[in-house]
Parts: sequence; C-alpha cells; structure tokens
Amino acid sequence: MTHWYNYLLFYLWIAPHLVLLAVAIFLLKQRLFSEFPMFVLYTWYEIAEFLLLFTIAISRLNHGSWYLHTYLVTLAISTALRFGVIQEIFNHIFREHGPVDALARTSLRWITVALLLVAVGCAILTSPQSFGNLFAGAAWIGRGIAIIQCGLLLFLFLFSSLFGIALQSYVFGIALGFGILSSVELVQWALSTTDLSPSMARALNLLPTAGYHVAVVLWLAYLLVPAKQILQPSIVPAEGPGVGIDGWNSELERFLQ
Amino acid sequence: MTMTVYLYICLAALLATTFVFLALRRRKSVIGLDQARSLMDSLDLAAFRNLIDPEEEAFLQSRLPTDQFRKIKRERTWAALAYVRDLSRIALEFSRFAHAVQTSSDPRLAELGRQMAYGAVSLRLLALQATGRLFVAATFPALSPRRPDSLLDQYARSTGLVMRYGMLESAQKRAA
Repeated sequence: MTHWYNYLLFYLWIAPHLVLLAVAIFLLKQRLFSEFPMFVLYTWYEIAEFLLLFTIAISRLNHGSWYLHTYLVTLAISTALRFGVIQEIFNHIFREHGPVDALARTSLRWITVALLLVAVGCAILTSPQSFGNLFAGAAWIGRGIAIIQCGLLLFLFLFSSLFGIALQSYVFGIALGFGILSSVELVQWALSTTDLSPSMARALNLLPTAGYHVAVVLWLAYLLVPAKQILQPSIVPAEGPGVGIDGWNSELERFLQ
Repeated sequence: MTMTVYLYICLAALLATTFVFLALRRRKSVIGLDQARSLMDSLDLAAFRNLIDPEEEAFLQSRLPTDQFRKIKRERTWAALAYVRDLSRIALEFSRFAHAVQTSSDPRLAELGRQMAYGAVSLRLLALQATGRLFVAATFPALSPRRPDSLLDQYARSTGLVMRYGMLESAQKRAA
C-alpha cells in the first residue's frame, strides 16, 4: 500500500509539471506569449517552483520548516499570478466587444468586492482555533482565495454566455482548468484544518496534485485541439461571371423579395 | 469533520460540476443561416414600433380617461417587453452564429464574423437594457421609458450583416 502510495504521490507531483512543460513550450512555439503573457509567465513560474520544491524535498535541505516556508512563499506568488491570468482572460474575451467590455470591467470589480466579502465572511464563521500554526493560517487564507477564484471564473463563464460570446478553444481551456483547480483547492484547504484519519489525510495529500494534473491536461488538450470549424464556407470565390456585382445584385433582389 | 467542512465540499463539488457542465454545453450547435433568417422573419417589427411609438401613446392619452389609459399603457408595455425579449434571444443566437463565422479560415469571412459578433453583442446589451427599462415602465405606468431607437437601429445593422453573409454564402455556392 505504502509502496503504491509513494509511486502515485511522486507521479502526481512530477507528471503534471512535465505536461505543463509541454504547455509552456507549445505556448512559446505558437507565439502566444504576446497574447497571454501572464499565463506564459505562470506556466514557467510553476515549473521553476516545482524544481525548487522538488530539490528541497529530495535533498538534505529538507529539514525543519524550510520546505513549508518555501512552499508558502511560492504559493503566494503563484496565487497572485493566477489572479493576473484571470484578469488577462477577461481582457482577452471582452476587448473586441466595445460597450460590453466596459460593463465587464465594472462588473468584474464589483464581483471581486462581493466575493472578497463572502470569503471574509466564511473565514470569520469558520476561523481556526489557533493561528499559532502557520499552516492553519495559510489554509484559512487559501480557502478564501479559492472561493474568490472560483467565483470569478464562474462569473466569467456566465457573463460570456449571457452575450453568446464563444470563448476561443484555448481560452476556454485555460479558464476551465483554473476553475476545476480552484474547486479542488477549496476542498483541500477546507479539509486540511480538520482532524482526519491517517488514511484520509494521505488521500487528501493527493487531491491538489490530482486536481492540478487534470487542469494541465485540459490546458494541453485545448491548446492542441483546434477550434471546431462550425461553418462550412472557407473560401470566398474570386470575382468572376455571375459572382461579381451582378451576382450580388441578383442575390440582393432575391433577399428583398 | 464539522458541518462547515461538508458544506465546503458540497460547494466545491457543485462548482466543479458546473464547470464540467459548461464545458459540455459548449458543444451546443450553432444555428444556421436559414434559422437566422427565420428568426428575423419571426419578429413583427411594425407591431413593435407601434407599441413604442410616442405619437400613438399621445393619441391614446388624448382619447382615453386616465385610469383606462394607464391600464392600456401597461398592457402595451408588457407586449413591447415580450418583443424585446424575443429580440434579445435573436441577438444571442446571432452572437453565437457570428462567433462561429469568426473561426472561418477565410480572412474576409472571419472579419465579417467579427463585425457581426460586435453588432450582435451590442444588440444583446441594448435589448437587456431595454428589457429593464420596459419592466420598470410596465410596473410604473406613470413613467415614460426612453424610446429604444438605438435598439432598432442596431437590429437593422445586425440583420444587414447576416444578410451580407447570406449573399456571400450564396455567391460561393453558385460559383462552386
């Protein structure tokens, strides 16, 4: 059991970052860094973070609270970058939709304030017994952040569908991946401060990396699978008999009948 | 585990399910050109214009007692609201259609799709605003809502673009 558990633990820790490396390389090859600089930065940052934490974990540096402190600091930067990515997705989706863009920006601000209040309210209602434990404090904050990120992504999907705005395949994939990741993290942070049986605690240990794995696979899949060509026409014919002005006129006449 | 933790788990499961549902719903098919045309035909614009015509309203006000006028005005506003809701639904379908056209590999069609999408999204926004205004006017008949001229103008622009797309498609079929 322990043998398999360790294999699974290492697999779920290493494999998502290998997939993420593929995502990062694909983003660079497709020159998407100009379109999504924050997401590109996030992917490379996550890879660097993994290398740092993995090195600490397997080397002799892993003593005392070294790992925990590094983990929490890198997590804080990662969380900030994720907010940047969400903002970037918003800008990308609504930038070409004039008046809706302004409405989206204003709504985003108000939704963020509302979600912040909800997160603070939830945190006050379920405050940990003691803040002496650094991890308990981090879980308390992490839970609030997961609520805000889930809410923002849900708002993004609902607001875009309200206006029938189809998200480009990879934009949708990025948002969906973050949505699932935030949902999983909400469970993880909620459970992490409770008294769990050893087997449950071990299972919980796999939850964030499993969620992360699902998210990076989604990112890669949506980047690789091109957007479905829904409509048939691909080429407008060159001007020719019956297709030029005369053709247009006859079509217009047919429409006006 | 406490009740609160169970609540968090339920909330997270609900959110994850919603995200998966949204991903699956994304595959919903987009209307075709013929359906777009039949949607355009289904809307009786003349009747809608009549319902929001201020001259018509002034005429009714001059001929009817105040109580009866308010009652009639309320009914007319509810009817106008039903038209705006239809228009809003059409705008949504146009928007989906336009975003699909935008994915065309032909740059001219993609550009036309972009224009259609911009128009349809603006139309949807105007329709939603008009829905709110008419709802307030139907609830409080003493208030006079602003005439949704920009909504009708935008609708004319959007249908014009859909027709232009139809002509391009027909021209292509004939040439093939």
